[in-house]
Amino acid sequence: MMGRFQTHLVGGYPALLLGLFFIGPLALMLGVSFFERDPMAFFNPAFQFENYEKFTSKRVVVTTMRSITQASVAAALVSMITFTTILIVSDLSRRWQTFWIVLMLSLLCLSEVIIGFAWAIVLSEPSGIPKLLHTLGLWDNPRSLSPSFWAVQIGLINIGFSVVGLMIYPQLAGRDRSIEEAARTLGTPPLKVFWKVLLPNYGPTLLIAFLTMFVYFLGVYVMPVMLGTPQDWNMTVLITDTAIQQFNLPLGAALSIGMMGVSLLALGVVWGINLWRSRS
Amino acid sequence: MKNSFQRFVLCLVGSGLILPFIIVGGVSINPASNINFPPKGITLDWYMQLLGEAQWLVPMWNSTKIAVVAAVIATSIAVTANYYLWRQKSAFAKIIVSVGVAPFLLPPVILALGASIFWAYTGLYGNILATMISHGVFFAPLPMVVVARGFAELSQEVIEASETLGATGWKTFKTVIFPLVMPYVVTGFALVMIISFNEYLISNMVSGFIVETLPIKIFNNIRNGYSLMLAAASIGFVVITFGILFVVSRFTDLLELFGGRR
Repeated sequence: MMGRFQTHLVGGYPALLLGLFFIGPLALMLGVSFFERDPMAFFNPAFQFENYEKFTSKRVVVTTMRSITQASVAAALVSMITFTTILIVSDLSRRWQTFWIVLMLSLLCLSEVIIGFAWAIVLSEPSGIPKLLHTLGLWDNPRSLSPSFWAVQIGLINIGFSVVGLMIYPQLAGRDRSIEEAARTLGTPPLKVFWKVLLPNYGPTLLIAFLTMFVYFLGVYVMPVMLGTPQDWNMTVLITDTAIQQFNLPLGAALSIGMMGVSLLALGVVWGINLWRSRS
Repeated sequence: MKNSFQRFVLCLVGSGLILPFIIVGGVSINPASNINFPPKGITLDWYMQLLGEAQWLVPMWNSTKIAVVAAVIATSIAVTANYYLWRQKSAFAKIIVSVGVAPFLLPPVILALGASIFWAYTGLYGNILATMISHGVFFAPLPMVVVARGFAELSQEVIEASETLGATGWKTFKTVIFPLVMPYVVTGFALVMIISFNEYLISNMVSGFIVETLPIKIFNNIRNGYSLMLAAASIGFVVITFGILFVVSRFTDLLELFGGRR
């Protein structure tokens, strides 16, 4: 076996890379968030709270509320839709389960840009669903369904589905089916089994899925820009705009730190739930 | 046991996930030069044009280079960190692995902005190397989780047997540990490659002005109005993604890897 020194050398490699290129940038960003803006260069080193004071400005408050609404609606929808679907998938044959796993993996890997582009076409008047409904005689006066709040929601649900699906699949596939089967044998209708047996049992799982997705959706950029109106642009868009277009890195950094605070809060709750679950 | 309600849910969700690609695919083989579905004919012209134009080939080549190097970095982090944890079981080793998984828990815009400030400081802002390293470190969580499953299956006895038979540390690693962990490493590598190839925000904020990747190219083009080449490029993406995953599914049991037990 390797010597002690060599083993530590092996462990030092990931520690160095992660420390330098993951922790380093975050620490640097925290520092820059206290700097002052320099219109000529990027920023000047300083220690002041001006950037954080801007959190009370109307633009930041409105964007924050909008981000939270957008992310929580989408997180709630995607958790419920995915839970119901994967519950059914976990009882399919092995071949079909593999099909769904590959489908989810592909969607997980596929660029938001591509998925957003696809939905923009599907929801557009000349070639998508509006035209189809018109042809079928169901919609007299078709107009594009995108950009809109719900177009963004569809895009978010599409990208979130695979994340939630792959997260909850192991639990659902390996679950103890005896209670459901007993309930069914006793003649309980499937919908009632779902409401009375499965949902209460998977409450914590759903809450974790909701919180994880909430954090994930706070950070999406492409969907709100591609499928939403400027009224649907979230905090991520504001941060990117502030940092890249206006070159105000200190304010962008402060906003990111604020977002990180919200994310860590949500993740802390997830961690708490997991801890509580492993104890009981 | 499948009742009609369950079938209905599966069909609805499944088609919702697949439909966009069928429509984009239909649009991309349309001979007329405007977005149209259903297509009025079949042509592969847009794909041919795509492969013949430098303005598309350069981003494709950039994305490929970034994806391969990022995958090497991410998997090397995952293998070394997991090996270290498996050998040491120390608190420090656990911290390294947890930190390695952390990037996936944070909204990417935070990572992207942090990286962009960091690279601006180091002077590598706008360099392709910056994108490679940032992708490699930020996407390490995937192989980290996948490779951990591989190490979980390694039994201590196998290692002890190899040592008893006189193998050195490196030899044990090369002939015993690595072959057993290999399928997981390959899967992790493939996943990072695909994700890096598709990622927009981090690439854009780290060096997007100078190093144009395929997603950046597509995104910028969409802003200037849809073109049919864009649809073709998107389908090219889908095919590559599905292709890599199909290859992976041939030599790893994806169901087992993702926790299915039947």
